[in-house]
Order: sequence, then structure tokens, then C-alpha cells
Amino acid sequence: MIWELISAAVGTVAFSLLFGVPKKYYVHCGCIGAAGWFLYKVMLVNVGLSIAASVFFATVLVVLLSRYAAVFEKCPATVFMITGIFPLVPGAQIYWATYYLVTDNLYKAFDSGFLALKIMIAIVLGIVVVFEIPYKFFKIR
Amino acid sequence: MKNTDKGNLNKEVNPVFDVAMEAGHILLQNGAEISRVEETMERICKYYGEEANDFFVLSNGIFTTGAYGTKNAYARVRHIPVKGARLDKVVAVNQLSREIEEGKYQQIDLVKEKLEEISNMPIEKSWQRILASGIGSGFFCVLAGGCFADCIAAFIAGIVLYIYVVFISEPYLSKILGNIFGGALIVTVCVLCFQLKIGTHLENIISGAIMPMVPGVAFANGIRDIADGDYISGAVRLLDAILRFLCIAIGVGVAFSIYQSMVGRIVL
Repeated sequence: MIWELISAAVGTVAFSLLFGVPKKYYVHCGCIGAAGWFLYKVMLVNVGLSIAASVFFATVLVVLLSRYAAVFEKCPATVFMITGIFPLVPGAQIYWATYYLVTDNLYKAFDSGFLALKIMIAIVLGIVVVFEIPYKFFKIR
Repeated sequence: MKNTDKGNLNKEVNPVFDVAMEAGHILLQNGAEISRVEETMERICKYYGEEANDFFVLSNGIFTTGAYGTKNAYARVRHIPVKGARLDKVVAVNQLSREIEEGKYQQIDLVKEKLEEISNMPIEKSWQRILASGIGSGFFCVLAGGCFADCIAAFIAGIVLYIYVVFISEPYLSKILGNIFGGALIVTVCVLCFQLKIGTHLENIISGAIMPMVPGVAFANGIRDIADGDYISGAVRLLDAILRFLCIAIGVGVAFSIYQSMVGRIVL
């Protein structure tokens, strides 16, 4: 678990560089990425939710933290959010969907493709829900 | 950018609108949401006392009209092609607009210089980006459930991928072709590593290595724009993201089928 958290943090920071995030925000990005992955794992393994539901809660946490960081650091929330949700992107499912599609295993291809779609929708919902919260709610802290 | 400043001829052109336009241009080109672009332009105009204006911002264009003085009008359309994201520029312009509101820039010329400086901000060095791609791939391979050897393979694939992106795809290829070849390249490198016994789980290696290609900025911004009610821009950005996903998947699929027909049996 610890290794996974470290991996999530370092991986997130590496991608921050690819997107040109300023260096002073690397620590924030890494922490937010790791926090998202942590909640995802807890929801999936300890609480026992489905993958899509776990991703939804993890996304909510990532975007919430991003908005707090944005208020503290006085910079756009997008900077933290985009890199923070990266660990949750369904890379493996997309891989399986393509793989089964090519190997003519259509039923399984549909299965993993649909799971990837569900995860994507969970991410979308997570982002939308948190951005509906009014700005002043974050300002108080 | 084409700069047909015919208004400069009569020296009457309004610098405030020009500066606002330039700020909007930088923001839009580098992955800011539509509402942020509109807000920033509004703020700049308001601070310098030009209130009679209207902006219409789309994902690849800004339309401005304004009135100033007694009978002068300002109208300008700017086309802004969809490009890669540079979040540092977005942060810098955001910071600038904040400082303008605090009153640090009384002269509009200073803002103009500062914007010029921002738009010329250097990109990270190529070797840094290549290394970052490798490290990112390697560590995301851990999240996909890969063992140490898998991560090494994903690291190699990530590095090869970004060498291709930096030196071939970005300067020469269109987005569609670049992503198809990128997806194919990832599979080729991963399968090679797999055949050379670096890494034992092909699916984990590829899941990690594919990460640097994921169009995160276009996806996240598309959703935010749609949530804000900017449907046209949001749809265009989401389309951009989906198209890239599809292209990568096509590349991966093609490379897989070639590999399979070479081996003559189902891989794994």
C-alpha cells in the first residue's frame, strides 16, 4: 500500500512536468494524486464498493482538495485537478477492451469497454458535483 | 498569429482591448476553461475603465466588440488553433490579472510587455520531458499491479514513446496520425521487452506505458466547460479527447494484430 501511494505521488509529479505545471506546485500535485489513490483503494478493498463507485469518491476527494489548494495558492484549480485524477484513469480497462476486440473476443471486449466507460462517467460526475459547490464555501477556511 | 493591426494606422486603436485579447489568447491556447478566459478579459477591461464591451469565447476563437470614447468602436476576431496544454502559462496570466486588480500595473504598456514575456516562456527541456514520461509510466505500472520488472519495461516504453513524441510526432505529424503511431509504438516496445523477458505481465506494462498519451487536459476542460454551460466549446474539447483515445486504441489494436499474425497464435 505504501509503495502504491509513493508510486501514485511520483507518477503524478512526473506527469505534472509533462503538462508544464510550475515547479512550486509539484508537492501539491503529488499529495493530491496520492490522496485520490488512497481513497480509491480504501473504498474498493476495505469498504467493498464497485470500481466505478470507488473512482467516483476518489475523484470527489481529488477535486475538493484541488479547489482548496487553488484557494490557498491563488491559482487555477485545473492545475491540481488534471494531474490528480491521472491515477484514476482506466488505462488497464481500455487496454483489455482493445486487446479483446483484436482477438475477436467481442463479449469480453464489450465487458471491459463498458467498465472503462463507467469509470469515465464516474470521473465526470465527481468533477461536476464538486464544481457545483459555491466558491464562498471554500473561502471560509 | 496573423496580426493585421490596421487600426494602428490612425493611432486611435484601443490598447486595453488589445491587451485583454492577448491575455485571452494565451489562456485559451494553453488549456484554460472558457469561463476563466471571459472573466480575465472582463477584469482587465474593467480595471482600465473600458466597460462597454462584449466577448464571445469559443474553444478556438475569441470575438470582441467594444465601444470607447464618443464614437469609436473596436471589433476583432481571433482564431486560436487547438494546441497542447501549458499550465504554467495559465497560472502566470491568472497571477497577472490578480496583480492588475491589486493595482500593480498602472500603465497598460507594462501589462503588454509582461504578456509578451509569458507567451515566450520556455518549454521544459526535452530530456526532462522524456525522463518524466518514463518515470510516470514506470510508476503508474505499479498502480496497475505490475511487479518490478514490469515497471522497468514500462519505463523503457515511456522513454521511447516521448522520444518519438518530442522529435517526430509534435513537429511533423498531425494529431490523428501521431496518436495512431504512438499507440502502435507503445505496443511494439512493450511486446519487445516482453519477448526479451523484461517484465512478465504484458497487460500491466502496456497500461502503465499508455498513460503519457492520455489527453487529460482536453478531457477535464471539456467536462468543466459543459458543466459551466459552454456546450459548444465543451463538446469540441471532449471530441478532441475522445478522438485521441480512439486513435491510440486503433494504434494499439493494429500493432497487436500484426504481432499476433507474426507469432501465429494468441498472445499471453
